[in-house]
Amino acid sequence: MNKQPAIRDFSIAIVLVAVAALFAVLSPQFLGPRNLSLLLIELSITATLALGMLLVILPGHIDLSAGSGVGLLGGIAAVLVFQNQWPAPLALAAAFVAGLLIWRAMGWLIVRERIPSFIITLAGLLVFKGLFWLVIQNSTVPIVQGGGTNLYSLLTTCYLPQAAGYALATVVAVCLAWLKIASRRRRLQCGFEVESGPASFLKWLVAAQFLVLFVAVTNQFRGVPLAVLILGAVATVIHILTRHTPFGRHLYAIGGNEEAAVVSGIPVRATVIGAFTLMGAIVALTGFMQTAYAGASTTTVGELMELDAIAACVIGGVGLKGGRGSVMGVLFGALLMAVLLNGMTLLAVSPEFKFITRGLVLAVAVWMDVRLSK
Amino acid sequence: MLWWVPDCIPASPFMAPQSNPAAAVAGSAKLLEARGIVKKFPGVVALGGVSFDLRKGEIHALCGENGAGKSTLIKLLSGIHPHGTYEGSLLVNGREAAFASLQDAEKEGIAVIYQELALVDDMTVAENIFLGNEPRTRFGLIDWDRVNSAARELLDRFQLPIDPSTPVRDLGVGRKQLVEIVKALSKNSLILILDEPTAALAEAEVSVLLGILKDLRARGISCIYISHKLKEVFAVADRITILRDGVSIATSDKDSIDAAGVIRHMVGREISDLFPRRAHPPGDVVLEVRNLNVADSATGRLMLQDISFELLAGEVLGFGGLMGAGRTELLMHLFGVWGRRLGGEVRLLGQSLPADSPGTVLRAGLALVSEDRRRFGLVLEQSVGFNLSLSSLASLTRGGLIDPVAEFGRNRHFFDSLRVKSPGLDYPVGKLSGGNQQKVVIGKALMTGPRVVFLDEPTRGIDVGAKLEIYETINTLTTSGKAVVLVSSELPELMGMSDRIIMLNSGRIGGGFARAEATADRLLAAAVGQKLPPNLS
Repeated sequence: MNKQPAIRDFSIAIVLVAVAALFAVLSPQFLGPRNLSLLLIELSITATLALGMLLVILPGHIDLSAGSGVGLLGGIAAVLVFQNQWPAPLALAAAFVAGLLIWRAMGWLIVRERIPSFIITLAGLLVFKGLFWLVIQNSTVPIVQGGGTNLYSLLTTCYLPQAAGYALATVVAVCLAWLKIASRRRRLQCGFEVESGPASFLKWLVAAQFLVLFVAVTNQFRGVPLAVLILGAVATVIHILTRHTPFGRHLYAIGGNEEAAVVSGIPVRATVIGAFTLMGAIVALTGFMQTAYAGASTTTVGELMELDAIAACVIGGVGLKGGRGSVMGVLFGALLMAVLLNGMTLLAVSPEFKFITRGLVLAVAVWMDVRLSK
Repeated sequence: MLWWVPDCIPASPFMAPQSNPAAAVAGSAKLLEARGIVKKFPGVVALGGVSFDLRKGEIHALCGENGAGKSTLIKLLSGIHPHGTYEGSLLVNGREAAFASLQDAEKEGIAVIYQELALVDDMTVAENIFLGNEPRTRFGLIDWDRVNSAARELLDRFQLPIDPSTPVRDLGVGRKQLVEIVKALSKNSLILILDEPTAALAEAEVSVLLGILKDLRARGISCIYISHKLKEVFAVADRITILRDGVSIATSDKDSIDAAGVIRHMVGREISDLFPRRAHPPGDVVLEVRNLNVADSATGRLMLQDISFELLAGEVLGFGGLMGAGRTELLMHLFGVWGRRLGGEVRLLGQSLPADSPGTVLRAGLALVSEDRRRFGLVLEQSVGFNLSLSSLASLTRGGLIDPVAEFGRNRHFFDSLRVKSPGLDYPVGKLSGGNQQKVVIGKALMTGPRVVFLDEPTRGIDVGAKLEIYETINTLTTSGKAVVLVSSELPELMGMSDRIIMLNSGRIGGGFARAEATADRLLAAAVGQKLPPNLS
């Protein structure tokens, strides 16, 4: 739909490579298979939440409560598993439904009662943080009984067997080829210009090789992490939702011009409530992954994650006024944030400087965005 | 620093207009001159040779279709396109001018008053007039007493009955425009550039504005006046320059050219019939409104009272009235986006319509093209295709996903049949000219397959060629049995295109007329509620 973000994506890619190169030079472990595997899991968690944030920002809203929600929903599931001895799938389902209901209610308050989303979710941030600490009683609640494994803990500790990784890469590559051919045929049918056959094939070949390389690298450690598959599924669903469904078009239209959206007969309220409900689902999913990654629910789980998600969106070219942004951009933005955090942790940078760096990167990214979109 | 009244305006209160302004014009020097201007954008030549000059104390009208290059020329004259980005030369008082910015042009006394008003709604009239230019006290704080008294003085000078302490939000469009002009004059401007100043004004406000321009002319202030409304151009201009496709075609004294001549230069062809309405024998009742009473949901004030009418298939029903008569409110309410219904009934094809659900109304077969296309019509940063199909996505969806081939086909159909001039369906709609944006809004409404189409000021601020195409679209619609409600502030258009006309007066029906019995004075009499000619129905 928009041709311009290509330049922006490109500039982010350059920054990304530069940052990664810097970390690789300063710490040889950065590009080691073990660290890359951890980085991928961290990316999956950050990016999943950022993709949910995209759905909320597109129609011109914001969710500041996501970080507290991550802690709360992960904490509820942990308490149900560890203290109430619920089976993990049931506990996760219960917390998931809670997420849907709470975010739906926030969406409802925003559109029906016309309370700005900034205020509602700021209240949510505080309320959920308090509830979270009440639920886990300011203690550390493990997510699994006595050192075993369950569905909850597997979220970030499960890896695909080596052969399955390659099989999956093949399936994805075939799907990509099929989609490319179908889209090409469609564009020809509509009289659009298409890129030349060899160029198209080369692009696909590069993507396919990247997939194989990706599996090969992750197989060096334990295999493709389950968390990456979750992110892949979420990204695919949200990409289709935003690009190929009326719901997605409506999100862009509402963010671009809400009054015109109303006069165009778009169910603005239902659409915004829908976006918040989906955000609830994603906050729950992120909460489970983040809590599993930490190994237990503690008071700091999820802290400031909403800001990382918003930063990932902005770096990825999402307009905070709404109406502009794409899944690919957000994935890039999240990757930059994840690389920064991971690299700094590896270098044992003190928390003070971690905060300062994250803030500066966000400011510089937005500044570049403003400059480039002129 | 220039907080007070400019020297060029005599301090005496309102001066009588000079009896023969032409005498003042004759022989005066060229204040501003553009010679052989060529301005290129990547891939487009916006101006391909424009020569133009402005004399001291004259009103010089600039006419041309949308896209003819008027806006580009203004941006050049006002420093928005800086020196060096164009070829040719620009002279102020005979000296070569090299504006690097808007501020440079302002220093030479050039002020532009834009179509989109540049006032801050939340500030008062006085605050707006001196925004960025506030008189200071000894201590560097804003001297509010002087702000208010100087504003008062300026407004009085033009006999404008506006209180300087009124928030601009509370003013109508016409008065906002006047405040902008006063603001420009407070900066010592010698040249005013007005871009479509009357696009949103009612007839009475237009004559106030034109009166003030003539008054300024008598005081030696020059004005470049851009308008699609030839009647105004001939009422106020001394000379007329016509642009077509980026080239200045002709410059002529007002007296040596007529409206037909201007139009011929603008479009490059003869236009024989300005309102080519082809009446069509009406069919059954499609829309029925009975005893409708509607209040403003915010203030609770009764805005529409006892409105009843019927709309027949294949006819154009015109709605006229002065500003604030409730025409737009009526359409917006019937469409389900404005007001609280206190009583009455609305039936479309026998089905009762809800008062607050535009989606339902649209699906029932009623589409609205709003008067304010940028606000209510378009998502400006998105593409032409995105906007065209926005109201019709449900019918283009297969298995939950939008069918791209079906969407493209449908977009292409309306893109072609409405003759939208755009590089393609992928092009951002915000970059199109007003007339083409309007065609996109109309295309969006028509794509929903409506039985009834509401057109609220469909030709506001668009050029003659695009107007004719919109009139043709109206004819096509009624020929295929659809019914059209047309709201227009321009009486000739209302009388030229409607089969029947209803005049509104302060939220009530002031009178109804068949096409044959509608004359300008009868319509105006009904609009102000003087007498009630026999009602029609």
